Amino acid sequence: MDANNLLDQHYQQTEAMLDKAVKEWQNLPPQKLTQEPAPGSWSAAQCLAHLNAYGNYYLPAIEKAIQTAQAAGSKPSPEFNSSWLGAYFTKLMQPDSKTKMKSPANAIPPTFLNPAETLAQFIDQQERMLKLIEKARTVNLNQVRIPISIAQWIRLKLGDTFGFYTAHHRRHVLQAERALGK
Amino acid sequence: MLITNAHDYLQRIWPNLPGDILQDLAGIFHEYSAKRKTVLTAEGEVEKYLYLVLEGVQRAYAISTDGREATLVFTYAPSFSGVADSFLLQRPSRYWFETLTPSKFLRANFQDFDAVLLKHPLLERLIRLALSETLEGVLVRQIELQSYTAEQRFRTLLARSPHLLQLVPHKYIANYLGMDATNFSKLLGQIRI
Repeated sequence: MDANNLLDQHYQQTEAMLDKAVKEWQNLPPQKLTQEPAPGSWSAAQCLAHLNAYGNYYLPAIEKAIQTAQAAGSKPSPEFNSSWLGAYFTKLMQPDSKTKMKSPANAIPPTFLNPAETLAQFIDQQERMLKLIEKARTVNLNQVRIPISIAQWIRLKLGDTFGFYTAHHRRHVLQAERALGK
Repeated sequence: MLITNAHDYLQRIWPNLPGDILQDLAGIFHEYSAKRKTVLTAEGEVEKYLYLVLEGVQRAYAISTDGREATLVFTYAPSFSGVADSFLLQRPSRYWFETLTPSKFLRANFQDFDAVLLKHPLLERLIRLALSETLEGVLVRQIELQSYTAEQRFRTLLARSPHLLQLVPHKYIANYLGMDATNFSKLLGQIRI
């Protein structure tokens, strides 16, 4: 797959989530964000807090990996090829995936959280992600590798990391929209 | 407003500008686009361009020695933009200029701008008038910052630029108003009710 097209696609999908948060969510009464759609179901704020927990791990990890690669003279490759594991994770995370997953314990968001702060952090993280996607154009997406959060010994290609990260975000952003009743 | 060429844009700002001057002035502007959060002028750089905003929201902000940002101004169409003092004086900028949303501009470089003003003294006069209004705006903002309460600043901005709430992350607006995010969302909650 063409590496630049892949990054364009992640950029657009991330920007669409950011647009939604800026145009709609930050202008809602904060208590709407913390409403549970059904007893025991995640509120929109919980969905976003769950994504923020991933961002807190992956954004610094990606940033560091890109900087290290730049310093080591990494050059962009025109093509990106998923590893089988990367493709598998991304498919699993896709919003239309039939697989029901259980979030790891450390990524389960608390029931009581400050909705305005959670949303502000989500917006911040999407802005940072867009910058990282642009920076990634300077390095080889096949060679730069990121340890995954639940198993540090597994190191996914940067291109696959973007793939499953964006898919996972889209999945829970859709869940947040359902929680808001749209 | 969906004006995309310099001629129409400038004619809207100065409807009585003679045709030949308008032609010369419009000729120095070129289209330019930038993605969101693109730094167009960094602190320490001399501003190369005078911008006319076609689309998007931009901001100028200073970074203090302890790393905190202070948002000085937002710009959006129809308006001039860029680091005006650095551009006009051709001295290093004391602050940063960046896009907050995907943006389109028309922009002119200093050499071309200087030459067209030297050629047409009428333009020199119009720019003086435009700068007078800018100066007025800066001083009014100084009054707001020093003698308004946080709530008055909030209401003043909302009256002047309510559309910003849907366009940019609220942290930038809160920062412009000199309040923290919690205070900002509290005030926003009061307005909604």
